[in-house]
Amino acid sequence: MNIHEYQAKKIFKQFGINVPNGLVAYTPTEAKLAAETVSEFGPWVVKAQIQAGSRDVGKFSDKRAGRKGGIRLSKTLEEVFDNADEMLENLLVTNQTGAKGRLVSRVYIEEYIKTIRKFYLGLVVDWVSASVFLLVAPVSDKDDDDIVKLAIESPETILKINLGLQKEIKNKQLTQIVSFMNMQIELSELKTFLNRMLKLFYTYDATLLEINPIGIAKSGKIWALDAKIVFDESALYRHPEIQKLSDDSEIEERELIASKFGFQYKELESGIGIIVNGDGLALNTINQAKNMGISTACFLNLKGGVDRDKISASIKLIMTNPRVDGIFINILGGFSRCNLIADGIITVADDLGLNIPLVARFEGTNKDEATDILKKSGLPLSIAEDTTQGLQLIKEAIAEDL
Amino acid sequence: MSVLVNKKLKVLVQGITGAQASFHVQRALKYGTNIVAGVAPNKKETSYLGLPLFGTVQEAKEKTGANASIVFVPAKYAKSAILEAIKAELELVVVITSGIPVRDMMEIKHELLHSSTTLIGPNTPGIITPNEAYMGIFPDNIHKSGDIGIVSRSSTLTYEVVLEINKIGFGESTVVGLGDDFIIGTSFVEIIKKFNSDKNTKAIVLIGGIGGNYETEAADFYAKLSKKKTTIALILDDPTPLSDNKGLAPEIICRGITSSMDKKRILQNSGMIVVDNISALKSELLKL
Repeated sequence: MNIHEYQAKKIFKQFGINVPNGLVAYTPTEAKLAAETVSEFGPWVVKAQIQAGSRDVGKFSDKRAGRKGGIRLSKTLEEVFDNADEMLENLLVTNQTGAKGRLVSRVYIEEYIKTIRKFYLGLVVDWVSASVFLLVAPVSDKDDDDIVKLAIESPETILKINLGLQKEIKNKQLTQIVSFMNMQIELSELKTFLNRMLKLFYTYDATLLEINPIGIAKSGKIWALDAKIVFDESALYRHPEIQKLSDDSEIEERELIASKFGFQYKELESGIGIIVNGDGLALNTINQAKNMGISTACFLNLKGGVDRDKISASIKLIMTNPRVDGIFINILGGFSRCNLIADGIITVADDLGLNIPLVARFEGTNKDEATDILKKSGLPLSIAEDTTQGLQLIKEAIAEDL
Repeated sequence: MSVLVNKKLKVLVQGITGAQASFHVQRALKYGTNIVAGVAPNKKETSYLGLPLFGTVQEAKEKTGANASIVFVPAKYAKSAILEAIKAELELVVVITSGIPVRDMMEIKHELLHSSTTLIGPNTPGIITPNEAYMGIFPDNIHKSGDIGIVSRSSTLTYEVVLEINKIGFGESTVVGLGDDFIIGTSFVEIIKKFNSDKNTKAIVLIGGIGGNYETEAADFYAKLSKKKTTIALILDDPTPLSDNKGLAPEIICRGITSSMDKKRILQNSGMIVVDNISALKSELLKL
């Protein structure tokens, strides 16, 4: 689960990590008021709050926002107002948002902290070694100095330290960081900072903690100028206070409905809607469809067991997508009796009527019974023996339907 | 011969009284799996589904000689159940449970470093040696005995592969589902090693997952194998919506860029045959 920067910074503060004063604002007027509260004279930084990185090098889709990115230095209160006005209710596109971008519904107004040195810092769980890695890299203020780009093009400029399950940083690791970065810094200050980050990481079951950048002031004080935390969704039950921070406003409506049922739902182009019960099967069905000249509008992964209610809910959800012109249900090893799949389809037909072509393919117990029920229903649907036949049938049905 | 699971293995089931566990245990018993005990702490009954029921893994092991366990315990309690099985020095532990917190798996994985237990999963359909035994939740009657060893990061895609290759006359020596969580107990390497020395396995099929770099690790290992069996890797192309997390810098730094394109190239360089769809996989099998 992702949270916004301003929420992450609040958590940082609780752990004693230095963050600039800041307030969140939903309107330009609020932004100006917030600026007056956080710092008397400025300058201020106006930051678009979306749950994706590379905001400073991103671009807004609406031209009224100009060519500047989602993080802007503002010298006067009027500039704060104008920048907030340009960003709010506008779509910000970065290399992590996809082409459509994300809607900025709030901005964070922060006091500007003057620093003499900046660097990138990350804590992340590595899958294969099942360990926490500490990542450190120098960054500058240049627009094109993006960490993702750095990771791809010059990974050697990033220091990686395997921390295992260490809860505290070791002295020799501190020396390693300081010499890699070639920086003048009080070791005890850096140690306290990193230990607090580790404490936060473990306390809240984070899988990623990223500060891009950290700033070092002339006084030697270390500041988290940015904050990103990703939490392990499987561990959220241990942290109800974190669960409450979830912001649904960036999630598409149908995706949100799907997640309430425990489904995974994604929209692609226009064409068929696919209902499956696994990631691998989803991918295979989409790819096979593509090879047969069939485009996919969306797929829905039921995840786990299959029953009548799940089937009918998933069909109903897919039918609300106007870009879907046929539905293919492809279910393997769902461990339910197949007649429940048949019941689910018939429930939808009874409730809403089945106005688009549907093909079902399933394996499991009571398969013959289920096939019979569906064949006798008189509904405009077909039963397939395998994925290839299923896709062929839905292709033909859509062609006839047009 | 087979890999990991056979008729002789004495299996206990942790969390046997849950609905899902009960359902699958009865099916596995019917199939021929030698399930000898159930473990459920805080239960007063002494037997369940006709099997003796114990409060701890250690006791079940002592009384029945069990040397393997299937874990159905809910995610919240899975860590302590798995650690209990490792402590009791079982040879093989298959974890079906999904949604185990990442940190719990990190601790389990580090515990495994000091033990001889092989942990498969979590979030896996399990392991099946057709016509002998299985530990897991495989669908009815889709597997056939044969000489293809399958090791996979996906569950439903594996069923699809099995159905398709059996249609053209193949069968499986053993199918091992590694599980598709971020952190898994056993990766491709250990299983390729076992298939490579298994007399009943003629060729290996590796089914990759979405994201992560377990495939890279497999390629490194396979490249260095001196005597190697033909291995066909199935890597599906990933449209971006399925791999939203891939673009994060730390993941790129830690794991390299592991898009399907990269995986295909890396596996190909290791000497495996790489395909991106099931019909190509079938054609390659027919050439054996």
